[in-house]
Amino acid sequence: MKKVFFVVLIAVLTLPAVFAAGQVESAAPEAKTVTVFGAFVDEEARRFEEAIKPFEERTGIKVIYEGSKDFETLISVRVEGGNPPDIAGLPQPGLMMNFASQDKLVPIWSSLEATIDKNYAPVWKDLGSYKGTPYGVFHRVNAKSFVWYPKKAWAKAGYKVPKTWDEMTALMDKMVANGHTPWAVGLEAGGATGWVGTDWIEDIMLRTVGPEVYDKWVANEIPFNAPEVKAAFDILGKIWLNPKYVYGGKNTILTTSFGDAPRPLFDDPPKAWMHRQGNFITGFFPDRIQANLEEEVGVFALPAINPEFGIPVLGGGDQFVVFNDRPEVREFMEFLATWESGELWAKAGGALFPYLNQDLNAYPNEIERSLAEALVNAKVFRFDASDLMPAQVGAGSFWTGIVDWVSGKPLNTVLNNIQKSWPK
Amino acid sequence: MTKIHKSKWAYVVNLILLVLVIIWSIPIIGLLISSLRPQEDVLSTGWWTLFKNKGVITLDNYKQVLGGSEYTFVDSTGATVRSSGDNLSRAFMNSFTVTIPSVIIPILIASAAAFGFAWMVFPGRKFFFTTVVALLVVPLQIALIPILRDYQSLGLTGSYLGIWMAHTGFGLPLGIYLLYNYISTIPRDIFESAFLDGARPMVVFSRLVLPLSVPAIASLAIFQFLWVWNDLLVALVFLGGTSDVAVLTQRLANMVGSRGQDWHLLTSGAFVAMIVPLVVFFALQRYFVQGLMAGSVKG
Repeated sequence: MKKVFFVVLIAVLTLPAVFAAGQVESAAPEAKTVTVFGAFVDEEARRFEEAIKPFEERTGIKVIYEGSKDFETLISVRVEGGNPPDIAGLPQPGLMMNFASQDKLVPIWSSLEATIDKNYAPVWKDLGSYKGTPYGVFHRVNAKSFVWYPKKAWAKAGYKVPKTWDEMTALMDKMVANGHTPWAVGLEAGGATGWVGTDWIEDIMLRTVGPEVYDKWVANEIPFNAPEVKAAFDILGKIWLNPKYVYGGKNTILTTSFGDAPRPLFDDPPKAWMHRQGNFITGFFPDRIQANLEEEVGVFALPAINPEFGIPVLGGGDQFVVFNDRPEVREFMEFLATWESGELWAKAGGALFPYLNQDLNAYPNEIERSLAEALVNAKVFRFDASDLMPAQVGAGSFWTGIVDWVSGKPLNTVLNNIQKSWPK
Repeated sequence: MTKIHKSKWAYVVNLILLVLVIIWSIPIIGLLISSLRPQEDVLSTGWWTLFKNKGVITLDNYKQVLGGSEYTFVDSTGATVRSSGDNLSRAFMNSFTVTIPSVIIPILIASAAAFGFAWMVFPGRKFFFTTVVALLVVPLQIALIPILRDYQSLGLTGSYLGIWMAHTGFGLPLGIYLLYNYISTIPRDIFESAFLDGARPMVVFSRLVLPLSVPAIASLAIFQFLWVWNDLLVALVFLGGTSDVAVLTQRLANMVGSRGQDWHLLTSGAFVAMIVPLVVFFALQRYFVQGLMAGSVKG
């Protein structure tokens, strides 16, 4: 009995070791490899891997992508622990600035900088820079200032896409008069509940006070309880806090997950008629809608409020930064700065790219084509403010402030609290 | 009279237990039902509506979890391809590779250490034991970065040896404490007679202590197995998440997609991940009830 036990024990102990040893050998690098660590996973990771295959075939360099849902935590742990990837795709500029200020990053070298100058609008270089030194290369980006609507139902009801904010307000009243509910809104997103609201406020800020004041707001040069911010909340409040305008009223806003929020648009007849969200929301539409996206769904940019600023676009994106300086890493970064690295992903759908010289025909449908066009041609593009603000605010009190405000806390208290939470 | 009184109480106790069992089971039943419903239904109505509306039941979620989610992408020739990702077999294998040694190694070390603390006399015994117990309250998160630095200089990051050692280290305080409590209750007479017969400590340990502490070892094995099997953080930090080493929890966590749009897959994923721990639990459970100690002192 005991002998059997020991034999089993030894077998069990050695089997995985053999397996593991085999693995180490097979992973031994014959070709040059570049490790990339990012926050996107699953299907998106697969599309990224496919998109960079032309590079691997051309150069013989192997790119190993690792994606994790816990990217933000892990990248800090790995960098602190001395085990950074060669390249990381950072979703937030704040992370880049953190690492740059600790001298963990390799600054962009001159040939890559020239490529960036050629292929991107200046705003992307600025977003990838810390104290004037560029560190990041943007690849896939997203744009958020869009309103989605059920195309067929709109045609039947005779609704027209509004060109200005006033037209939109008139349209909302018309919908209410017809017994329709204009908006579907959902704030719930687990630990990040509230970000949908911060996007709305940012969009309204850009449209009412313009990009310069917006930048000051992000830097806290104007306080959070300034009249400009208050005005933005008031404009949003006119929509959100009016139960006639939002499907289900306050309670539904607070408890619906952001991904489920657009679903009422696709009921028959629609329970809500408009939904403001970024380009990625199409992935949450019901399968039957996704299958005929062009026929079922219409989209327009959230209209201008002050015509002086045109129709600004709010967005975000992953910037790739370099931790280990090797020739093959440099080569891959140069590749990422070109449209070629995004083309195959754009064709697969679900991704927008910022390259100036991109071929808009690559996008699989009219919707994504028009979004990419809006992104490239936007006179004003600004990064999601909550991603730029210090984490205590941008990923903390701003989110919870939105929730408190919708639940009925007085606006002044909410804004004062957010301002108080700003790190000194 | 007392008998009736007693059975009345038994009814009350049973009733309370029944209510508790139902309350505890409802979420699991809900999870099971959700895992069998199509995505559309999961996202639009609650699982309890299944009984009312005679909803559809499907194994689609399980197919996607086990066989890999379906991806659409465009390959380098420009053709649109729809294929499923890797299935879970690799992740299962990786999880076993991580878990089995990470359970056996700490048990071997912890039982030897517990025997030493309980029955051997050496200077500083109390001090060392107190240190080990004190380590119980230290959260492992604070050790991640220092250990990662050491591993980096030793070249252990990303290797199975590294994660076995990490799990061993994190599991030892509880293991030693648990086994110490058990081993120290073994009657002194057993050891005395063994020592009188000329047995050395190593023989006493392997012939007496190990077989006698099987129930405690089994419970420790279950704890450690569940902990390592369900662990996500330690594996992500020390092993990494590339597909050749990714363990089951990592695969399941990534399956929901970058923005959580596929969270309905988590329901079936939970049941798939549950199978192995359940098997381990039921396999070891009989050791809990086996009275190994019975009659062992009879001279």
